[in-house]
Amino acid sequence: MASREQELSILPQTGDPPRGRLSVLLGRLIHPYLNGEPHGPLSELLGRLIYPFLRGEAPKPQQATGFYTDTTVCIGCKACEVACKQWNQLPSDGFNWSGNSYDNTNELSATTWRHVKFIEQFSHESSSPLPSLDTVSDESPLNRWLMMSDHCKHCLAAPCHQACPTGAIIQNEFENIYIQADICNGCSCCIAACPFGVITRSEMGGHSHKCTLCYDRQRDGLEPACAKACPTQSIHFGPVDELREQARKRVEQLHERGVPQAYLYGDVPSETYSEMHSFYLLVDRPSVYGLPDAPFNPWLHMMGDYVRSVAGGLAAIAVLLVVVFLLKP
Amino acid sequence: MHANSSPHASTKPPLPEQGGQIGYENTPITKVPGWHGIIAWDALLNGMATGLFLAAAVSELAAPGVFMRVAKVAYPVALVLLLVDLGLLVLDLGDPLRFHHMLRVFKPSSPMSLGTWCLTIFSLPLTAAAGLSLLAELGWDFEWARLLAVVVGLLPGFGSAAYKGVLLSTNAQPGWKDARWLGGYLTNSALLMGCAELLVLSALMGQSQASAILRTAFIVLLVLNVIPLGLLFANLRPIHAQLYTREQQWRVGALIVAGALIPLGLMLLNGGLLFISVAVIFLLAESWVVRFVYVKIPHTSPLEVRSGE
Repeated sequence: MASREQELSILPQTGDPPRGRLSVLLGRLIHPYLNGEPHGPLSELLGRLIYPFLRGEAPKPQQATGFYTDTTVCIGCKACEVACKQWNQLPSDGFNWSGNSYDNTNELSATTWRHVKFIEQFSHESSSPLPSLDTVSDESPLNRWLMMSDHCKHCLAAPCHQACPTGAIIQNEFENIYIQADICNGCSCCIAACPFGVITRSEMGGHSHKCTLCYDRQRDGLEPACAKACPTQSIHFGPVDELREQARKRVEQLHERGVPQAYLYGDVPSETYSEMHSFYLLVDRPSVYGLPDAPFNPWLHMMGDYVRSVAGGLAAIAVLLVVVFLLKP
Repeated sequence: MHANSSPHASTKPPLPEQGGQIGYENTPITKVPGWHGIIAWDALLNGMATGLFLAAAVSELAAPGVFMRVAKVAYPVALVLLLVDLGLLVLDLGDPLRFHHMLRVFKPSSPMSLGTWCLTIFSLPLTAAAGLSLLAELGWDFEWARLLAVVVGLLPGFGSAAYKGVLLSTNAQPGWKDARWLGGYLTNSALLMGCAELLVLSALMGQSQASAILRTAFIVLLVLNVIPLGLLFANLRPIHAQLYTREQQWRVGALIVAGALIPLGLMLLNGGLLFISVAVIFLLAESWVVRFVYVKIPHTSPLEVRSGE
């Protein structure tokens, strides 16, 4: 782990980007608002109006980073969930028993950016709700527990990014999808667009939240908290190209060791979806893990939908014009 | 093989036995945005406002002698409808005080961004056309400026009508993602509703010539609107079959068909104010039902995922 962090620390450190000329001028206008100094209602109003229009210079692009999650070594300890909550100061969601699984987190949410899923696959013959040690050691694929630490997929062509009308969702210098919480206005377009059900709107502020891939830690040359905490190295973090290579070798290794079901999900683009910067090694169908078997980017339909929309309107206008011209005195 | 599998993964994963534990297989994957009934009203008012403006503008520009008087009343009415619609849009945000954040970027890839810009730009010539129409009634007639505002408003007005369907179909939600004809229906329906509203206004104002022309246009548009509506319901058939019983589908279908047939029958029977008003009320009710049924799809059990909203 230490060596991985040393490698990452070689990445150039990125400070707060300088602002452009217009933004500097606008920034002066709302100086008290920006710096949290005492100010009157007019300054507050001006600050709220102008603040979202301030621009900084984009940081220099870095090597694309991401996660490769090897589900075959996940032990369901939930250390990643805890580390994520701790680092990102996310509140507890309460303690709600799902009643049918060790998965009591249930889903990703505005305050849960990591979710360890438990898939308990046992044949009917086993009448006991809890498997005996013999059953656990059974090599049959239907007498096993699958575990998977789920999170944002940081898609290369992310539907949430395409949908966001405020520009709150950006692809940052590490090619990760990041929500700027101070810009998001809670329109929910990203929630509707995400085919993985990752993003959620918070009840508290009304803004959307999800995994940031520990952008703050990455900028300081640290690996994300979840990867750091993972005791089995199920969660790998690093440059995406290296992760892909590593993951492919692992698949080959598993095939050689008698796990022919192993395959990678999201490492390469399909006809209907881009590659993901967070991809998985799975041993069952994606839907078993709560992932879409064939993810589809809704934007593939957009142009066609616009054409039909415009055609519907133009047809009506044409009818109106024809009737008016035919019947007018 | 899975669409996302790498070439290294050539073996098909095993299928769990029937009745065995299948993990998250039957769990809905996508999360439902907090778009409820307010969005159905928004879609209706958007269509009513943009449709009324477009119908009035097109009619007035094509036959000013017949439609100028009724158009001068239609623009202020369209402005009021648009303001109510914008209010609903703002209220539907998670943080309504940040509505103006929509204007910090222009993203054609986002139907919401395109729509917001269209609505913002459209509101300017519409306000001008409405204001100048009212001023003309008070004796200050700036006819050229009013007509310029009407012409300038045509394109953003059309864009404001056209984006809504694309916004509600370009996403990953069950049912919505398959609604290829929603945009076609909503834009067509906006013009139909606009024509109906203009017909009511002309009937109320005693504009017999305008009423006669608009009545014919309304009848033809009612028939035309059945095409995109039918195509939309064909798109939604699989999801409706999954969500509703056959009886429930028949009931909603009968309601929608009645909403289209009753106005048609009334218009063919008589062109009086009462008949026109009742026909338009039926049409608006039908239009609202279609939008409401559509908006409810992802919220309908068992599709809804507890999303903390």
